[in-house]
Amino acid sequence: MGYTHKWSQSFWTGLTYILVLLLVFPVLWMVITGFKTEVAAIAIPPTLLFQPTLDQFLLAINSGFGAYLFNSAVASLVSTAIALVLGIPAAYSMVFQMRKKSSDDMLFFVLSTRFMPFAAILVPLYVIITRLNLLDNLFTLIIVYTAMNLPLIIWMARSYFMDLPKEVLEGAWLDGCSTFQTIVSVVVPMAAPGLAAAALLSIIFAWNDFFFAVSLTYTNAPTLPIMVAVFTSNEGLFLAKVSALATLIMLVPVAVGIYAQKHLVRGLTGGALK
Amino acid sequence: MKQANQAAQTATYPGIQVRAVPKATRRGQAKWLHLPALAYMIVLTQIPFLLAVWFSLHSWNLLLPAQGFPFVGLANYINTFTGDPNFWPIMGHTLELVVGAITLALVGGTVLALLLNRPIWGRNVLRGLATIPFLVTPSVMALLWKDLFLSPSSGIVDWALHLVGFPAVPWFSSFPLGSVTFIVAWEWTPFVMLVILAGLQSIPDEVMEAAQVDGAGAFATFWRIVFPLLRKPYEIALLFGTIFIFQTFGEIYLTTSGGPGIDTNTLPYYTYRTALFSFQIGQAATLGVIGVVVAILAARGMLRLMTERTASERS
Repeated sequence: MGYTHKWSQSFWTGLTYILVLLLVFPVLWMVITGFKTEVAAIAIPPTLLFQPTLDQFLLAINSGFGAYLFNSAVASLVSTAIALVLGIPAAYSMVFQMRKKSSDDMLFFVLSTRFMPFAAILVPLYVIITRLNLLDNLFTLIIVYTAMNLPLIIWMARSYFMDLPKEVLEGAWLDGCSTFQTIVSVVVPMAAPGLAAAALLSIIFAWNDFFFAVSLTYTNAPTLPIMVAVFTSNEGLFLAKVSALATLIMLVPVAVGIYAQKHLVRGLTGGALK
Repeated sequence: MKQANQAAQTATYPGIQVRAVPKATRRGQAKWLHLPALAYMIVLTQIPFLLAVWFSLHSWNLLLPAQGFPFVGLANYINTFTGDPNFWPIMGHTLELVVGAITLALVGGTVLALLLNRPIWGRNVLRGLATIPFLVTPSVMALLWKDLFLSPSSGIVDWALHLVGFPAVPWFSSFPLGSVTFIVAWEWTPFVMLVILAGLQSIPDEVMEAAQVDGAGAFATFWRIVFPLLRKPYEIALLFGTIFIFQTFGEIYLTTSGGPGIDTNTLPYYTYRTALFSFQIGQAATLGVIGVVVAILAARGMLRLMTERTASERS
């Protein structure tokens, strides 16, 4: 009995390692391919032992990577910052000021703006943006990403604010703190880990967006995912170079996501699950 | 419920109006804090949506400016439902993609969650690794799936198939929708895993121990005890997965571009094509409005789940 038990435990453990390896294998193989030469990258059977080279990474970086990186970084960081400035007071109001009914109505509104298919609002947005002569402008991308991430920030902040001990807040109110002071010096520091996770998730969403970037930008404001698309259509199949480029692009969301891993579920589900 | 609670507190401490002071202070506080965010969302999402409804009642083709912007009533909707030979097949593809991908992700995510909930060496590292497919840039990863893995000439999957004696399969031309579905499922499996893991961790150890003392096997334990306790995590995974998978775009754009023919067009992708390739703004707006109706129904379900928690925590 004990023997069988031990054997089956090892079986499940082994299976776990194999399945996780299979799941991440595509990403792993992409990273490995980035270190190959083009010839080694398309070789069949695949080469496992090869002289790693940084050439493809250098090539990718020298193909205008900097400009795309700048657009991606500015769009995701600035939109996240604006979403935090707008979203934190809104969440504060929902948790500490509104009646339950209004708070729930607001939550429904917030959710429905995030669940609305982007394709539906793309048509009128495209028309408005064209009329305002703001097509292919980094500013436009920032405005749109802010709208995309504001609901996420609000529902995450709301979930964390709901867990704050009421006594501390009541203390601040009793001390005569203004709402602004209460938010800046009490609520934000206490909910800092949750808010940081919200900001990180928001950065991932903006960084990974392809839909708005491909619809609203051309040459002035394209982001990194667009670079890959342009790259492959212009230069044909350069597996190693594309893999190197893709590896560079994915470093940010993967690092940020793993760092904020504990908060991922709670963040995405608005605290419906912890 | 809230009022009853306060009444109970007042009754416990008669004479001491603990809550009265902050209440009064609170009343004097700024009440407009949610308005900037609300205004932002209205301007960026609700007004465009109302415009989409307005456009959908008109015939408007950017390539035919002479045609103008005539009001056509519900003609676009009637045309979409009855006149457009692409619409219903595309709705079918959308359903196939969403149902296929979420089903695969639910099964894969459950298996991974159960395995990674066991005490195992390097568990946190494994969990972190298993999260990666969800974090990688979806459009970029889809492109790599196409060229590096599922390509019949340079793909490693076809090489592996060849090793065991199968012929190379041109995945994206033979099974275009299936290939896209597979990639999307791969991306969403970690999300389901994380949600189910969170659910598993909230099950008290005593429940599991009791089941084991009663001699329940692993399968029976899961099916009769764990699974019913995971009702809410599954609902959440299902709803969130469905809503986001419905929006799949870059994965289609960069692998099949909706083809061959319209075989991998989904409703959002078709809306995009109708707007930015055919420039039929009125028709595209109609498709968009139909998409919103579908999504709103899903959001209602989600709200019910989230306010359930609110109600139980505030009382």
